[in-house]
Amino acid sequence: MKLRDRPEVDEGTPWVERETMVEASPEEVWEALTDEDRLEEWMAPEVDLDPTEGGEIAVRDGDDRRAGTVETVEEGERFAFTWSRPGEGESFVEFTIEALPGGSRVTVVETPTHSMATKTAAGSTAMAASGWGPRLARLNRAMRFAPVA
Amino acid sequence: MRAPAHRHVDGVFAALADPTRRRVVERLARGGTVTASGLAEQLPMTRQAVAKHLSALQGVELVSATRVGRETHYKLRPQPLDEAAHWIQMVSAEWDDRLEALRRSLEKRGSRSR
Repeated sequence: MKLRDRPEVDEGTPWVERETMVEASPEEVWEALTDEDRLEEWMAPEVDLDPTEGGEIAVRDGDDRRAGTVETVEEGERFAFTWSRPGEGESFVEFTIEALPGGSRVTVVETPTHSMATKTAAGSTAMAASGWGPRLARLNRAMRFAPVA
Repeated sequence: MRAPAHRHVDGVFAALADPTRRRVVERLARGGTVTASGLAEQLPMTRQAVAKHLSALQGVELVSATRVGRETHYKLRPQPLDEAAHWIQMVSAEWDDRLEALRRSLEKRGSRSR
């Protein structure tokens, strides 16, 4: 069961998507993503995680603390949770694991959950939003060179 | 360093999700101040439509308004755009670092077991 579907995104959604290829099987990646001791090897010095849907996650790196709820657990394939810093907006974070010859691809997506209210027609994909980086860069450049009024 | 609060960034992205509104912003990005009527002459829109978009942009502080006699002059405020771009940059950089740490952690284990 999924507590919450992956958010539909449209052009109004700030969306970050990053990926990496690793020389490890999807099973090994899954363990590194969902075991709290393994998470402490790479995510943050202190991680508490109950890796079941509805379970809690707490991530601490010195003064930087985030806490949230596990949303999706699909063993070996998909792991998602929400997290937020105290007093700040909440983000949805989703990992997907894909088997490759000799390893795996790990993709992570982070998007503010406020944006999840912005539903769009079916078929909307991350691609629609991934143009944001360049678009903002263009706008910022345009403004930098704009004559001062 | 941390990303700015999402609340603000969300509003900016939502306001810019509308393609017409982005055209208004791009026009404002050329600099100076504009009035709703002045902008309406340059874009295929009525003055009322332009005024509505400007008001939405003002709501997320992307645009500032100054009353000059009977007219309102609008000007782009770049800061919210910087914050939105900053959110993307910060979160991207954070995940690049974490994924690199994940890759190292997995490969260290892999070489130990081989």
